[in-house]
Amino acid sequence: MVEIAVLLKQVPDTNAKIVVVGGRVDESAVTSWVTSPYDEYALEAALQHTEAAGGSITAITLGPARADKVLKDAAALGVTKLVRIWDDSWQDLDSKQVQSALANAVQAAGAELVYCGKQSADRNQGSTGPGVAELLGAGCVVEVSEFDAAGTTYLRPAASGSEKVTVAAPAVVTFTKTASDLRRPNVRGIMMAKRAQIDVVAGDVGSSTVNFNGHSSPAEKPPGKTYEGSGSVPEVVGLLRDEAKVL
Amino acid sequence: MVYEALDFYDVDSRLTEEEIMVRDMVRDWVEEEVLPKIEDACHKGVFLDEWRIALGEMGVLGAPLEGYGCPGLSYTAYGVICRELERGDSGLRSFASVQGSLAMYPIWDFGSEEQKNKYLPKMATGELIGCFGLTEPDYGSNPGDMITKAEDKGDHFLLNGAKMWITNGTISDLAVVWAKLDGVIRGFIVETGDEGYSAPEMKGKHSLKASVTSELVFQDCKIPKDRILPGVKGLRGPFSCLNNARYGISWGALGAAQACFDSAKEYALSRIQFDHPIAAYQLVQNKLAWMLREITKGQLLASELGRKKDTGDWIPEHISLAKMNNVDIALEIARMARDMHGANGILDEYCIMRHMANLESVKTYEGTHDIHNLILGRHITGIQSFTRSL
Ligand SMILES: Cc1cc2nc3c(=O)[nH]c(=O)nc-3n(C[C@H](O)[C@H](O)[C@H](O)COP(=O)(O)OP(=O)(O)OC[C@H]3O[C@@H](n4cnc5c(N)ncnc54)[C@H](O)[C@@H]3O)c2cc1C
Repeated sequence: MVEIAVLLKQVPDTNAKIVVVGGRVDESAVTSWVTSPYDEYALEAALQHTEAAGGSITAITLGPARADKVLKDAAALGVTKLVRIWDDSWQDLDSKQVQSALANAVQAAGAELVYCGKQSADRNQGSTGPGVAELLGAGCVVEVSEFDAAGTTYLRPAASGSEKVTVAAPAVVTFTKTASDLRRPNVRGIMMAKRAQIDVVAGDVGSSTVNFNGHSSPAEKPPGKTYEGSGSVPEVVGLLRDEAKVL
Repeated sequence: MVYEALDFYDVDSRLTEEEIMVRDMVRDWVEEEVLPKIEDACHKGVFLDEWRIALGEMGVLGAPLEGYGCPGLSYTAYGVICRELERGDSGLRSFASVQGSLAMYPIWDFGSEEQKNKYLPKMATGELIGCFGLTEPDYGSNPGDMITKAEDKGDHFLLNGAKMWITNGTISDLAVVWAKLDGVIRGFIVETGDEGYSAPEMKGKHSLKASVTSELVFQDCKIPKDRILPGVKGLRGPFSCLNNARYGISWGALGAAQACFDSAKEYALSRIQFDHPIAAYQLVQNKLAWMLREITKGQLLASELGRKKDTGDWIPEHISLAKMNNVDIALEIARMARDMHGANGILDEYCIMRHMANLESVKTYEGTHDIHNLILGRHITGIQSFTRSL
């Protein structure tokens, strides 16, 4: 029997256009929000783990009401305990604040293992898993690509090749893309999700030690070069061979 | 990549949270498991068995039916499922329509308790496939004159006759067959393997190629007495099934239309002629605007009809209007999209010609376009004009 907390973050769809207005990402312009892809692999691993070893999963997210969707999606896959952490007064929480809110929720859920993505698709910081582990005083294995469904043995990249590690609980495990196919929900799961209760909890996250200055869009990519006419063929072939190294 | 459906009036915002989750589930599945395989399936003329399994696993078969292991979703959800499936291919939606509305529904509504328990749970999971035998070689639009007959032989029924154009026939485990018993139309369940029953596949279709179409042949076919559907007599039986299937088609056709519109829009923006994308020309924009207009009207029609089905406030004529209109505009949109793709429009690299050919069948089955006109004409005038004898 194993109690696993899965941390799920709602992020703009990876194809969504991100607009910065007044030094801030304009969230209202994001038309489609999804569960951060690596988190989906973490959830899949947790589902396989509890199926094999018994136990239960608590799905935890931190975000405003729209983030309920990631929990409902998890519920449709069979997760029964759903927690959303939020306080309307929160703005621009720093990583440490997020981690402490998540760590508190993990403790409240009584979970001995925490599964999450190796990084979120929006900020890509990769700090949440290790940060939560630090606060919980738990072991931490990052960038796991293979796992033993019934136990706590994980494969992760090492300096040359990969290493297999077994950790004792409490532990935080962060996942990269694994070979597992992500399961689809079904109608029965969706019906359960409709009835599933989400616990909304706030909490004291302390004050931020980081000063947020503003967002900015990435620089526009320079336009590609075009070559016309058969006379340019030798030059293009040369560039493909010597610069792009694709030939 | 998440598929962003064309929804100009945000009609899907009327959907419940549950209906949206069902939509997304089916949409993602079609995107990942159907679209990459559909052209090949059409070339080979097969309906992939993995699709049957997946539809069963997702739990969408017999969507609006409740109990006996059926999903118990709303009619609106059923419509949305049809739309998403038909964005993939009309053959896929046909499979689901026949299984749910034409084979499961009559057992669910008119079957005995034993029949419901025996067949429905396994049909909902896709373990058993059903088909619906109404049309005969000589009786299409007027099934009331069918000649397939059943005789009561004391301890069994004996069926004789033939059905034609039966979707899923060859791959089905059971057929709901409509035949005359003492001159009255009754429903019978015939199982594959029953003596005197065969279901050879009809080959050579240019349309609905990824769907199996068959003949059903009954030559002194012997079936046990408990295979008659006790709950209905006369044409009301098959027509109630058709009402549900036609309802689903009114949504489904929009899926095909949306696929054609998406392709036409993308193509028009990228195809350069006379130095500009063809989308920059007014004639082309006029076509795109017309497509958007008709799809949006069709969506409003389907959504409103869904609401009516869910509240029970509907009449069959409402369904006739929506089936006829939405298939009609979908076919016209497919043809227009074909034109906009130029020569490329005839290639299997694009979905256009496949949808166009499919929609020709969809226009004919489940009541031809004109039969629905006649149904509406009768409703308006009170005068039936199906036959010459008034
Ligand atoms: C791919 C495919 C799958 C099918 N699947 C099934 C199935 O699973 N089960 C099943 O039972 N059937 C099925 N059908 C049969 C379908 O329902 C019939 O084809 C349809 O009812 C029309 O019948 P018909 O083809 O005999 O055409 P007809 O009835 O001969 O019609 C020919 C033309 O005459 C017109 N017409 C007919 N009567 C009148 C009238 N009174 N006034 C004016 N015009 C009229 C029609 O509109 C049509 O244009 C399928 C058909 C196809 C193509």
